[in-house]
Amino acid sequence: MTFFADFCIPFIVGEIILFTAIAIKYIMWLKGLPKSDKKLILKGAFSPRFFTATWEVIRESLLHHRIFKVNPLLGYMHMSLAFGWFLLISVGWIETIAYLGLKMIPLHGHVFFKYFIPLNEITAHKPMFDFVMDFLLLFVLSGVTLAWIKRMRSRAMGMKKTTQHISFDRIALTALWFVFPVRLLCESVTSAIYGGGSFLTGGIGTLLAAGINTEILHAIYEPLWWLYSCALGIFFVAMPFSRYMHIFTEIPLIFLRHFHLRPEAKEKSYDNFEVEACSRCGICIDPCQLQMQLGINDVQSVYFLRDRRKNRLQQKIANNCLMCGRCEQICPVGINLNTLRLNSRTSMRNIPNESRYKYLKNLDRSSGEGRVGYFAGCMTLLTPNTLSAMQRIFDAAREDVWWADKNGGVCCGRPLKLSGESDSAQKMIDYNKSLFYKHNITILVTSCPICLRIFNEEYKLDGIEVLHHSEYILRLIEQGRLHVNYSTEHTFTYHDPCELGRGSGIYNEPRAVIEAIGTLLEPSHSRKNALCCGSSLANTAINDSQQLTIARNVAEDLDNTGAETIVTACPLCKKAIARGATHQVKDLSEIVAANIL
Amino acid sequence: MINFGFTINKPRTIDLNRNNLNKSNEVIREMPELQTCIGCGSCTASCTAGNLTDFNFRKVHTLVRRGEYQGAYEEMNKCMLCGKCRLVCPRGINTRGVVMLIKRKLGDF
Repeated sequence: MTFFADFCIPFIVGEIILFTAIAIKYIMWLKGLPKSDKKLILKGAFSPRFFTATWEVIRESLLHHRIFKVNPLLGYMHMSLAFGWFLLISVGWIETIAYLGLKMIPLHGHVFFKYFIPLNEITAHKPMFDFVMDFLLLFVLSGVTLAWIKRMRSRAMGMKKTTQHISFDRIALTALWFVFPVRLLCESVTSAIYGGGSFLTGGIGTLLAAGINTEILHAIYEPLWWLYSCALGIFFVAMPFSRYMHIFTEIPLIFLRHFHLRPEAKEKSYDNFEVEACSRCGICIDPCQLQMQLGINDVQSVYFLRDRRKNRLQQKIANNCLMCGRCEQICPVGINLNTLRLNSRTSMRNIPNESRYKYLKNLDRSSGEGRVGYFAGCMTLLTPNTLSAMQRIFDAAREDVWWADKNGGVCCGRPLKLSGESDSAQKMIDYNKSLFYKHNITILVTSCPICLRIFNEEYKLDGIEVLHHSEYILRLIEQGRLHVNYSTEHTFTYHDPCELGRGSGIYNEPRAVIEAIGTLLEPSHSRKNALCCGSSLANTAINDSQQLTIARNVAEDLDNTGAETIVTACPLCKKAIARGATHQVKDLSEIVAANIL
Repeated sequence: MINFGFTINKPRTIDLNRNNLNKSNEVIREMPELQTCIGCGSCTASCTAGNLTDFNFRKVHTLVRRGEYQGAYEEMNKCMLCGKCRLVCPRGINTRGVVMLIKRKLGDF
């Protein structure tokens, strides 16, 4: 048997282009990795992490477990397409082996097996395979049907908005949609002419044979196989240049991630794996508040990654993001969306080797003496109630405090970093770090989550424990150094600041402090799902009224709990929410200071 | 020169007809809300960098709008982008956006 017919040519051309393109991409990306990353890969490949990664590949790339958790219907759609197609390929493979034994058969021989070996022969040989293959085809077709529905009425699939695709994606998408229905037709007509097939192809085949003239069936037989081969060929050619590259990128990405490779403050070759692993499923669009509240439709992570992949990213897209992390938290591929956006901003705006911030030299406006340092941060200096509340708390606990910036200090550097000027941010980091060490503090308390995040992530403060004031206050209460008055009459609701919650993973401490004082009522969006106040320093693109619109929406959510006081643990959130709320908005430290026994 | 006990300063008039307003117009076009500035100086009063140096945001962006670009980029680079000015601005001007825009227009990137 030769396993060749003219109609195979589009498929063969497609597969050659596909595998060449993927090989080139893989080689370029892996070659571009820095030495340290290559070492990590070598180390990880021979460790148990290899097996945990393999398990995750099965769970995510085939079964799409994380999408199931977000939306079961979408999960089923992705699973039926990925896992169903995978099974079709592998069972088809087993079928050829069962029929012909272990022989070298070209790829198109497997794919068009039923053309080369007529169905009745196969059925006579191994009837069980026909049933399984028909069942799997039905499984995939159910996914294709859902995909059609999602394109036409995304709301029916639980998505308010779905991705707006570019032309290349549309070509690939259309080809993919054709692949399985055409395959069904091919096999059905084959079964109509030659017999064989199971409940699906066999059943349709019998109907076709009864209703349509045999001559017509013979006439459309070859063209149908041509159509099937063309659909596959077009899909294969479009694949490496469209969103479907994610199929072949997510697998290495999962392995690299298990080998501890991560995106960093500056762009590097590893980012390619993350960027091209985006399947543009569009799950990141719905939770975006810019989309929800302001109707901004072209800046979400899916579009950011697409533009970055195509090298046509514009500052106005990169800068228009709150970096609240709601999309990152829900992304089924687990792409580090915020880090990637930040290093894009850095590539666009960073100016190294500049003589900026010379005025920081020999500057020290700190006051007080103590092993506990308190860094108010710019935003706390603008909310003096928080500052004086902290003063009362420190006094009540008889803590000796070194005040880093009570009389004006230097910014922590995170705002600069968020704007893409990471080399300049480093100057603030170096300055503040040397200031902390100069005053020999062992604990650093800050009431600003923005500062907290950069202290934890970039400062590398060996020997100094960094605490958010919510953690510090809770510790004082637990140690019995601070006594607060509990009353069930006080009702509070709590707003999770992005930088504190999703950013630093601190959800429970502020809640524990509030519950020590009164009753806590949770708003409808809380913890990982909390909303952003809208004033995020990461966004320099939206204007004041747009910020206010977001703030009002968040405030409404909090007001609806009916709590007498809205509590937050970020000075910036406090300012933002207070603009839209009808109830009073307080910082966590204020309600503690007001209830000290 | 005879010392009369006083000197005559160089005139400090800004001649809008002589200044090149191209960059200024670009800034205004991209950030039209800057024209609503009432010059109250809250931004400068709350400024973190202004607290440590003689950096004066109100002065710099006003001069830039009038076509006086000399030294504006270097001055603007003193800003730490902390964002307090944006919170205190009574007109709700996106001041951090203004800083970044002026740096982009007058600097090399």
